[in-house]
Amino acid sequence: MVNPIYIFIIALGVGFLLSLFEKAGKILTMTVFYSALAIMTFISGQWLIALIRGTEIMTLTTAGFPPPFSINLRMGLEEAFFTFFINSLGILAGIFLAPKFRSEKVYGMVLYLMMFMGMNGLVMTRDMFNLFVFMEITSVATVSLIAIDRNLKSVSAGFKYVIASGLASTFFLLGTIFLYRFTGLLNIEMMAEALNYASGQAVFLSVFILLISIIIELKPFPANGWALDVYEAADCGVVSVIAAGVSAAMLYVFIKISALLNQNLMITAAGIGTVTFLFSNLLALKQDNARRLLGYSSIGQIGLIYSAFSFFRLAGFTPGDQTVLLVVGGLFVNHFFAKAGLFWLAGIVKKDKSDEWAGLRSSPLLLFAFAVFILALAGLPPFPGFFAKWQLVMVLSAKGMFPAIGFILLGSFLEAIYLFRWLGKVLKTDPFEPIKIKPWEAFPVAVYLLAIILTGGFLSGIINQGSSLSVLYLPVLFVIVLFMLDFLPVLVKNSLVIVVFSYYTFRIMPQLSGYRIMFGIIFLLGGILLFIPGYIKKGRRLGFYPLAVMMYVGLAGLLLSENTLQFFTSWELMTLGSYFLIIRGKKSEPHALSYMLFSMGGAFVMLLGFGVLYHVNGHLLELATLARIPDMTGIIYSLLTLGFLTKMASIGLHIWLPGAHGEAETDVSPMVSAILLKAGMFGMVVLMSAIPAVKIGFIDIPYVLGWLGAITIFLGNLLAIYQEDAKRLLAYSSVGNLGYVLFGLALMSHLGWLTSITYALNHFLFKAMLFLAIGGVVYRVGTKNMYEMGGLIKNMPISFISVLIGIIALSGVPPLSGFAGKWLTYNAILQKGWYLQGAVVIIGGLIAFLYCFRLIYAVFLGQIKDRNRQVKEAPLALLIPQVILMIAIMVFSVLPGAVLRPVGKFLENIFPAGGLNWQAGTAFTEYGYWNGYWIMMVTGGMFMMVLIWLLFIDRKAQKVKQFNIVYAAERPFRPETTHVGYNFFAHYRKALGSLSRPYVTKFWDTLTDITHSSADFIRKLYNGNGQTYIFHILLFVVVVYFISFGG
Amino acid sequence: MDFKPIQILYALWSFSIILNIGLVLQGIVRKIGARVGRRYGIRFYQPYIDIVKNYSLRSSITHGVMFYLGPVFRLTGGMGVYFFTPIIYGSVYFGNFSFAGDIVLVLYFIFFGSLGMALGAGEGGHPYSAIGVGRGLAQVTAAEIPLVMAIIGVAMHYESLSVTEIVAAQQGGIMNWTLMTNPLITILGLIAFLGAMMRSPFDVVLAPQEIPIGPPTEYHSSFLGVMQTNRSVFPMAKTVLFVNIFFGGATNWAAMILKIFLLYMWPVVVGVVFPRFRVDQSIRWWYKYALPLGVVAILVTQYF
Repeated sequence: MVNPIYIFIIALGVGFLLSLFEKAGKILTMTVFYSALAIMTFISGQWLIALIRGTEIMTLTTAGFPPPFSINLRMGLEEAFFTFFINSLGILAGIFLAPKFRSEKVYGMVLYLMMFMGMNGLVMTRDMFNLFVFMEITSVATVSLIAIDRNLKSVSAGFKYVIASGLASTFFLLGTIFLYRFTGLLNIEMMAEALNYASGQAVFLSVFILLISIIIELKPFPANGWALDVYEAADCGVVSVIAAGVSAAMLYVFIKISALLNQNLMITAAGIGTVTFLFSNLLALKQDNARRLLGYSSIGQIGLIYSAFSFFRLAGFTPGDQTVLLVVGGLFVNHFFAKAGLFWLAGIVKKDKSDEWAGLRSSPLLLFAFAVFILALAGLPPFPGFFAKWQLVMVLSAKGMFPAIGFILLGSFLEAIYLFRWLGKVLKTDPFEPIKIKPWEAFPVAVYLLAIILTGGFLSGIINQGSSLSVLYLPVLFVIVLFMLDFLPVLVKNSLVIVVFSYYTFRIMPQLSGYRIMFGIIFLLGGILLFIPGYIKKGRRLGFYPLAVMMYVGLAGLLLSENTLQFFTSWELMTLGSYFLIIRGKKSEPHALSYMLFSMGGAFVMLLGFGVLYHVNGHLLELATLARIPDMTGIIYSLLTLGFLTKMASIGLHIWLPGAHGEAETDVSPMVSAILLKAGMFGMVVLMSAIPAVKIGFIDIPYVLGWLGAITIFLGNLLAIYQEDAKRLLAYSSVGNLGYVLFGLALMSHLGWLTSITYALNHFLFKAMLFLAIGGVVYRVGTKNMYEMGGLIKNMPISFISVLIGIIALSGVPPLSGFAGKWLTYNAILQKGWYLQGAVVIIGGLIAFLYCFRLIYAVFLGQIKDRNRQVKEAPLALLIPQVILMIAIMVFSVLPGAVLRPVGKFLENIFPAGGLNWQAGTAFTEYGYWNGYWIMMVTGGMFMMVLIWLLFIDRKAQKVKQFNIVYAAERPFRPETTHVGYNFFAHYRKALGSLSRPYVTKFWDTLTDITHSSADFIRKLYNGNGQTYIFHILLFVVVVYFISFGG
Repeated sequence: MDFKPIQILYALWSFSIILNIGLVLQGIVRKIGARVGRRYGIRFYQPYIDIVKNYSLRSSITHGVMFYLGPVFRLTGGMGVYFFTPIIYGSVYFGNFSFAGDIVLVLYFIFFGSLGMALGAGEGGHPYSAIGVGRGLAQVTAAEIPLVMAIIGVAMHYESLSVTEIVAAQQGGIMNWTLMTNPLITILGLIAFLGAMMRSPFDVVLAPQEIPIGPPTEYHSSFLGVMQTNRSVFPMAKTVLFVNIFFGGATNWAAMILKIFLLYMWPVVVGVVFPRFRVDQSIRWWYKYALPLGVVAILVTQYF
């Protein structure tokens, strides 16, 4: 084992000798330089491995003197961990900076080595004086490196850095002096033991001064303007070291001196961290400079990490506790890799504006890396931040620290806003300038990309004793394999996915029971079916398959989930996959963003709900415990419901849906509409089957949900009739249809749930079919505007039949399966006694006729346009699944009992009474009866009779040409003026007046505006003036002192 | 409630009865309307002449398959509404196919014909057809508000959705009719009836007095014949339904015909008195007046 002191010896020695080597040539100099960094990494890495295996912790003092006369060092697990990360960053950032080092004088390398020596020292020393020395070394080296570019911006940023770190050092020194006065000691541990807060306010003050100095180094809001300028101005390689490395070292210093803090000061630290996290992310919203944006994010993340640590200490955890390591370590690693990687990418892209980063698309590797880093920062699985945040929320919940969770989640949400906005811009901005990639710049990025994925996998293995997420491993592995096979053509990948997915389904289905079987049919069998249309795509379709499969992995994970962690992880995987599916559409960027934000918001609320559940049910994760919540049922129920409703797009939370589903690609729309929306329903079913009745005060929540469902149906359908875009029409119709599902569930009765499930199944069948058919039309015609279509029945007869059957099933006209839903609705509302809601539901349902007719008329009937005369029937790959769905609808229509009976059987476990009675094919309730088979027979018989009669008397009907119509002595010849398609229901809008205005959209727009403008207002704080920044720091110190002293 | 093949014959018998009632009533009503307007008017059997004439016309053109099927859907819809309703209470012969479903089925079957017809008219390619359908569907969705609420109210009142059971509960004299036991719901039903009958003031969809406008614009000869057949059956079917749920149904044809005649006069009288609404006005009217009345009626039924 190499003594860690060699890290210092090598850094110092090589640092001094580099000037000598320079005489022998640049290549030798650089070889020595990189070897030094490599050896430093090796030493700390070797210690890390040894310590994990259980080697003794090493404490050493130089030259046999006790501190402060020697350098007092310690090499424990934490130190090895931090030094290893810092030194590895040293070597990678060094590689990134290679051209700079090569062109500059040797001093650059010397300073770089000193900086890393300083950081190693900060991590390893346990002595106050040593800390001070290493802080100074690090600062001086950092400042010089910031200014290495020698332009005005970086020099002035460096100067601000000098002032700020000078102030911090002053405070540090002051605090140390006072503490030395009280304890006579400089070693932190000994000092912590000797410290007696009871001896007077002066002790508090001196620890406070010490703490504040470290916190200033950690860049608290609002005393961090200097740091932002540094992030913006300095070279990206250097900034990556500051953001990841120096912050890491200072973070560990904070962790060390936290031994000195009393509760009050711990709360102060936690508070500052949380506020910093929240406000950094808020202010970042208005930031368009990429590096400054990353700066905000960095500062926020660091704030989150030390506040998390402080919260843990407040909750009674020791610093070495495994949970603390998991959370703080996880958050740290996440930030460390992602931020270093992103700053390197900033160096590669060389664009200031975050909107101009689309050039990354010229390299799949870098694009992938960028996406991974962004997702990791946003806290999505399978990256380390996700697991850390989950555990953080659970631990804080266990201790009942809900306000803290609230702030953290709010901050995380704000962070997600700008991260995903950025990701969307990168993925979608066209045209873009390709970037030139140099191997030494891409290599470090690739290393950290790999590292962040592996750590994510590692954390997923240890979280919750590693038992939870194993079901997701193989599927996620398949996703990774698909990423690797992405060079293959669509034909191969599509077939591969269908085969593997079918096999997986075959394996999974027998494991499901109860309602999960039904969802299994929709999620898995439906999923396989909806991969068939993928064959219409040519080329390679980069990125589609891994992410589509990831969505299904999430859905399958939901089906198999038995605890909240599995559920939430699957939920987030599903969200992640679907986001990337949705954003593939040509104009999808803003819609995918709004989808993601609603999803993230919903997920955070859900996470809080799971947290509260964890709090009250004795710190258990099992979903089954939902059924026996001792306390706070209403809160848990509402939080989870809110989370699920965002996915179900209930009115108020629906505004993401029309764009997201409408603008998605041809084969993606049916996936996200017919299948994905049911995930929200699945959540509701899980929740509601566990909690039969719930009230907050006087308010019966299912009752509220019932009204919400009814209004969703009404408004969703109403908005659908005004759409000109066929796919948006279908999207709004989904809003309405999911309203039925919600309403049915909210009835909390056997019949209600049967209604809901019938609707869900029907919606899956007809919406998939309609989206495929309309998708085919759009694919052929090249527009989504219905008024630009018309008369396509002759060109696309199968699509027409498919839409016809789809709309009949949708509108609930007998004899097709949609009627089952309507009939059940009537019976269910009568049974429950929800008459008025029921009336709204049914009246809302009638409005569906309007858009159904419009859809089929404006597209397929009426006059064909000249430019569409040559349009062909949709591709076979789109028609095959439609035909299968058609057959399914027909079977369900004729034999509804085949589906409803087994569903009823299992519903008896939840609601024993009040179901359907079956006599042969007739279903009875205490109110009415219905026989799908005979309805079909009678209708069919009548239809045939009339048809035969008409054929008999009118057998010679002649087909006439297009414009041969009775037209007031005129003969029209322009289809554009003869086909009534545009603004078809203008009279309805006029009649309803203000009822049709987009209040909800306006509400969310206003909220967005307020958030952004407040961010813009607050960030005026940072005026770029060094003096102002000093003033901020001083004011910050005073204010924090009064707050913590007073409290 | 088992199906026996003989029921098909019963149903056809019942159908021929109602077709004739419809045709005669149409003629009589037009005659009365003319006399009120101080005209001589048509002969009461004129509808028979019209329908025979239309079926016999030989010139016939079509715009496509859906156009051809439109009237078929239309008549099937009208017949279905009739066939799924039990006509004469207690009669083996005139129960039709009501074993297949209850009042909800009838209610939704009303749309079967409208939708099919709308599709046929759509393929006709005439802008007036599309405008007519747009208006018609929009108005129907609004006019159905009181209908839906009335049906819910009746179902609440009798705790049943089965027409047969609802009629059964009203037997034993006028005091047992819904009209007497729940007048508010009946008023709602009568208002709904106005919307269902496509007469003034809610007849802008067909606009029968003006130039040909509305869904049937392109239809002619035998197509029109089929639609005329429907126009005789469909309103009768709806009237029978209303008689059944609000006015005690009937145990024999004489009572049924009398009730049909009287009830049919209600929209006729209103139509003669009130001028036509524009479609946006009529939608607004349903939302403004019928909806609150429906809410009141349901609340009253629920709590009193």
